[in-house]
Amino acid sequence: MKTNNTEGCGLCNATWGEYWREIDGDNMYFCCNICADIFETMVKKVKEITGWKKIDYVELVGNYSSGRECEARNGEDAFRYYFRTYSNGKFITFEKR
Amino acid sequence: MRCPTCLLHIRGGYAELSDHIYNMLGKTDSNHIMWINRYVTRSRTSKKELEGLVKRVFETGDLKEWIIQKFIGKFFSKSPHQFLVKMQKPDRWTLLGYAYEHHHFLKQWVKSCSLIIINTDFEEIHHYEIDNIISEWHGEKGRFPAHHELLLKMGQSYGASLDDIYRTEPLEPTLHAIQTWDHICRNFSFVEGMAAMHSLELIANRKMKEYGASIGYFDPVILRDGSVTRETVDFLREGYEADVSHSEVALALIAKYSSMLNLQQEVQAVFFKSIEEFDNYLNARIERGAILENKQH
Repeated sequence: MKTNNTEGCGLCNATWGEYWREIDGDNMYFCCNICADIFETMVKKVKEITGWKKIDYVELVGNYSSGRECEARNGEDAFRYYFRTYSNGKFITFEKR
Repeated sequence: MRCPTCLLHIRGGYAELSDHIYNMLGKTDSNHIMWINRYVTRSRTSKKELEGLVKRVFETGDLKEWIIQKFIGKFFSKSPHQFLVKMQKPDRWTLLGYAYEHHHFLKQWVKSCSLIIINTDFEEIHHYEIDNIISEWHGEKGRFPAHHELLLKMGQSYGASLDDIYRTEPLEPTLHAIQTWDHICRNFSFVEGMAAMHSLELIANRKMKEYGASIGYFDPVILRDGSVTRETVDFLREGYEADVSHSEVALALIAKYSSMLNLQQEVQAVFFKSIEEFDNYLNARIERGAILENKQH
């Protein structure tokens, strides 16, 4: 699964740390386990709502403070959403846009 | 020196502090990575470069100004904290979430102030903290109610019972924050305790926009447009007026004593820790509001 964060962490694009986790069969790079937890939960929520079996690409715009406006794509289909979490990765908000 | 993330006491200077942080980044420690990403840089650097960057974050000739600007950067930037966004035109659920969680915050507040008193013999500090305890917790019969009493009345004006506010345990982020503040005030120097607690009063300081904040704690229009209850107006107005003097007098004391005791970096480190906890705590107010709203449906 690809994201617009091409330089570093799949969620926040930071280049510190080195934490790898398999998400939907892809070995993805994150800066820490918290970012990996958030990304994994986010993917699970998107799949639950859309019924998709896979996600090809996720565009994430924002940060931990304001939350992230996102678009997930599966082939020609797109799903827009917003989410925000606590520092420990627990979700506060997840909304369809 | 003290680490702004794990609060570990570190012997030496910025080289040793930076070594510790770099070591923790190498171990992919999420808390240290979050701090570096939020306050220093999101791009990996060499160990030597990091030392310079970390030193720059702490460098200041004016501690009060440094605390105010860091606080604005954290909560009042162009992307302000979501609780502040909600407080511009607060609904019932935001204010109820505020009342339920802030009750626990204030219970800890009075204990923190007391612990600060215990940890010093400076009478100037005793007077400051006693005055703070009276306005936040005790009030003065016939003259003015305590901030805590006004908070409870605000909650009741939106249908909460006192019994329910008292019986409801704090959410986990509130509890974690309270425990952190208790630990700092109990075990660290009094001036670090003061920095942890009283810097947070900047949140309701109405001068923050003059200092560069993008928004205020709330839109002052709500004090007169009838969109919130009279009890909410009483609560917000009291804080609005009190926290200018509370926070700024405290910051002057913190600057004075941290310089006298050579604890400026330690005070800054504790401040960083405290605002991270406060960030989560403000989110808990939002979460509590959502929980109460969902109960209604």
